[in-house]
Amino acid sequence: MATKVSSSPAFSSPALSPRPNPPGPSGRAVPKAKALAILNATKSPAPSVASTPGDGGMDLSEKMNDEVRRQFVIGGRLGEGTYATVYAGHYRHDPTSLVAIKKIKVNADFKDGIAMDAIREIKFLSELHHPNIISLHAVFSTKDQNLSLVLEHLPAGDLEGLWKNGSISYTSADIKAWSNMLAQAVWFCHENFVLHRDIKGNNVLIAADGTLKLADFGLARSFAEPGRPMTHQVITRFYRPLELLYGARHYGGCVDIWSMGIVIAELVIREFFLPSETDIQQVHMITEIFGTPTEETWPGVSMLPNYLPIGPSGFKHPLGTSYFMQRFPLLGADGVELLRGMLTVDPAKRFTANEVLRHSYWTNAPTPTKKEMLPKAGGGLKAMGEDLKRRGGEADTGRVDKVARKLDFASMVQ
Amino acid sequence: MRLTEDDLYRTSTQYKHWSFTPSQLAAQRRTTNIQASERVKAAVARQRAQRSLLDASASESERAGSGVENGGDTPVRVDKEVNCLTVTEEKRLVDVFCARALDLGKFLKFPTEVTATGIQFLRRFYLFNSPMTYEPQTISPCAMFVANKVENHGLPLERYVAVLPNMTTDKVLAPEYLLVQGLRFNFQVRHPFNGLKGGHLEMIEMARGNANLLPNAEKTKEQLQQEMLQLPRKPNGPAQSLSVAQLEKRIENAYGFASIVLKGPAQLTDAYFLYTPSQIWFTAHLLADEPLTLFYLSAKVPTSPIHSKIISTLRSCADLLSSHSSYTTDQISKEEKVAREKKEKEEVSALIKKAKHCRDPDKIDLVKLNLAQKRDAVAGGSLEESKAKRRKLEREGYQKESDDFWGPELKKANGAKVA
Repeated sequence: MATKVSSSPAFSSPALSPRPNPPGPSGRAVPKAKALAILNATKSPAPSVASTPGDGGMDLSEKMNDEVRRQFVIGGRLGEGTYATVYAGHYRHDPTSLVAIKKIKVNADFKDGIAMDAIREIKFLSELHHPNIISLHAVFSTKDQNLSLVLEHLPAGDLEGLWKNGSISYTSADIKAWSNMLAQAVWFCHENFVLHRDIKGNNVLIAADGTLKLADFGLARSFAEPGRPMTHQVITRFYRPLELLYGARHYGGCVDIWSMGIVIAELVIREFFLPSETDIQQVHMITEIFGTPTEETWPGVSMLPNYLPIGPSGFKHPLGTSYFMQRFPLLGADGVELLRGMLTVDPAKRFTANEVLRHSYWTNAPTPTKKEMLPKAGGGLKAMGEDLKRRGGEADTGRVDKVARKLDFASMVQ
Repeated sequence: MRLTEDDLYRTSTQYKHWSFTPSQLAAQRRTTNIQASERVKAAVARQRAQRSLLDASASESERAGSGVENGGDTPVRVDKEVNCLTVTEEKRLVDVFCARALDLGKFLKFPTEVTATGIQFLRRFYLFNSPMTYEPQTISPCAMFVANKVENHGLPLERYVAVLPNMTTDKVLAPEYLLVQGLRFNFQVRHPFNGLKGGHLEMIEMARGNANLLPNAEKTKEQLQQEMLQLPRKPNGPAQSLSVAQLEKRIENAYGFASIVLKGPAQLTDAYFLYTPSQIWFTAHLLADEPLTLFYLSAKVPTSPIHSKIISTLRSCADLLSSHSSYTTDQISKEEKVAREKKEKEEVSALIKKAKHCRDPDKIDLVKLNLAQKRDAVAGGSLEESKAKRRKLEREGYQKESDDFWGPELKKANGAKVA
C-alpha cells in the first residue's frame, strides 16, 4: 500500500500574479518576464497589460507548457514520416545534453482529434521509467496545435540495422547482452501492465553507450480486463504470433514474448527469421517450423476465428531440437531452450517475461558482454530520425510492403 | 526480480503531478481563482470600455444589470464590478459537472474506468483553470471523449456526437489541445477499481482457508479462517459464528458496497488528489465492513507504526468519502434525502446562473478561438514554412480565380477541374 508523502508539486508557478507575461518579442526572456510577474504581483496591477486587445493573457497551464517548450532548442530535421517529423535538439541550458524531438503530424484521415498513436505513446512513456525503455523527457504543444515529444537521444541505430550491417561482427556473449536488455524492457512493461504490441528490431534503439532502448509505444495498451476484447491487428507481421494471425481477441504479455523471440532469432541468424508477404503466408512460415497446431498441442486453438486446421501445404510436424541447434548455433543449448520457450505457439505454454528472465541461459557461460564493450555501428542521428518517424506496424525493408495496420479507431474494438 | 507497487506508484505521473496535501490543493485553487477573476474583470472592463465608446446607452443598461462587488482594484474603473465566483463556488461548480459527467458516462454505457478517467481529467483540468474562464459545459464533453480514447474504449467521435444533444464534432474537439495541455499531457489515471477486485479475491481465498501468508506470519491459514468466521458485524460488536458460505456472502456484500463508493463519492470528491488508489479502495471497503477490512489489513500488514499510520489515513479518507452527498447510508431517511436533493438543486441552479455572469468573454466561443489560434500560428510564423507557403499559394490561387471574369472554375464531384 503506497503511503503518501507530502510531496510538493513539481510546478512552480511564478506567481500568484494574474498578470500575463507581456506579449511580443520579449517572450523569450523568461527570467526577466518571471521577475516582472512577481514584481507586479506585489503591487497594484499595471493597467496597460490588461487592455491589450486580443491578448487574453496566458493560462496557468499555457504558461507551464511554455516553460517546458523553452527548455529546449530545436535543431535540424532528422527525418520525416507519415506520422511524425523528428528534429535534433538540446536543452537550452546545456547544449551538450542532446535530445530528439518528435513532432507529431496532424493526421488528416483521423477525424477524432489527437491521434491514438500519439496518445498511447505519451501515455505510456510518461509512466515507464526504465534504463532499457526510451525516456520521454517532456511533452509540449505549439501554437499550431502540434504535439512534440522530447525523447532521449539515441544515436547508435537499432537492432535491425545492427544485424544488417555486414561490417560489424559480434559474438554469442554480445547476443546474450542485447537479448537480456530487451528482455528486461519487456519484463518492465508487463510488470506495469503494459503491452507493447509492436516489438521488432527497428523499434529497439541503441544509445551512445551501447544500451538498448525499447521505443515506439504507438500501439501499446494496458492489459485488458479479463473478458474484454482487444484488436488482433497489431504487431508488424514478421513478429506477429500465431494466435493473433488466427484472430485472437483475448491475449496478454505472451504476444510480446513471441515478438521478442523473433527479434533475438534474427540477431543470431542475421536475416529475417520468418519473412512473408501476406498474413496467410505468415501462418505458413510459422507452421512450417513449429508445426500445425491442433487441439492436442494447443487446447482451444480451433475456437479462434481465423483458425485454419491445415495449411496450404498440408499438416506439418514441428521441427525438433536439432533444427534449432543447427540454425542458432550461437545461442548454445540453453539459449535454444530459452528461444523455444519464447517461440512456443500455444500462448498459455509460452514463457512469461518473468520466466524468460529467470532462465539459466543468462547466468551460464558465456557471460554477457558489458555494454560499453558491445560492438556498435554508429547509425548516426539520421538513423534515429528514420526509426522514430515510423508509424507503428510499418516495416521499411525492401522485402515487405508497408504493413497495412488497420488500427481503425472508428470500426474496431481496441 | 521484484518491484513493489509502491515503487511503481511513485514513478507515476499521478503521484508526481497530481497528488497534493490539503493545503497545497487549497493554495493551487486560490491561485487559479485569483488569476481567473482578475482576467475576467479586465476582459469585461475592456469590453465595456469599447462598448461605451460605441454606444453609451447600451453600456448604461449593462451596468445596471451586473451584480455587486466587494472591492479590489481593476485596471479600468467601472461603477459596478463583475461578481466573480469564489474558490468554494468554483469547486462546487466543477463537482456538479463531475456528477453530470458520471450520468453521461452511464448514458453512454461507458465502462467504469472510462467515465472515471473523464471525471478525473475534469478535476485535474480545473485545478489550473477556472470554470469562469472555460465553462465546464464546453470542456466536459471533450474530457469524456479524450478519456474514451485514452482508455481504448473506441467510441468514434461521429457516434459520440450523434447521441449528445446540440453537439458537433467541432465543439467536442475545439478544447482538446487546451485540455491535454491543462492535463500536462498526463493521460494515465490510476484507479482503485482493480485493487479492490484483487483485495476482494484475496479475502475470499482467506475465508476458504487458502490465505496467502506473509513470511514468518504468526497465524496459520486455518487460524485466519477461524478468526474471520467469528468477526463481529459492527466494530466492538459480539463475535459471530458464520459458515464459510455466509462469510463469502458477507465479503461479496462488502465488495458491492465498496464498488459503489468507488464509482460515486471517490470520483466526486478530492480523493484522487489526496490519497493513493490503494488507500481509496481500502477506505471504501472500510466503510462497507469495518471489522472485515481491519482484519484483512492486519493479516497483510503486521502491527507496526506503519499499521497505525495507515489506519489514520484511511479514517481521514473515510471522512472525506462519507461526507459526499451521494454517500447514502441507512442513517438518512427518505424524506431527508428528498429535501437535501431539492435544496442542492436550487443551490446549483443559482450557482450556474451566477457563473453565467462572470464568464471570461474572451473564452466563450472555443470553436472560434481554436480556429483563430491556428490562424495566429500562421501569422506568427510558427507553422512550418512550407505549410504556410502552400496555404498562401492556395489562397492566392483562389483569389485570382474568383477575380476571373466568370468567377472560379467549377469542380466536378471527383475534384477534377472542368476542362
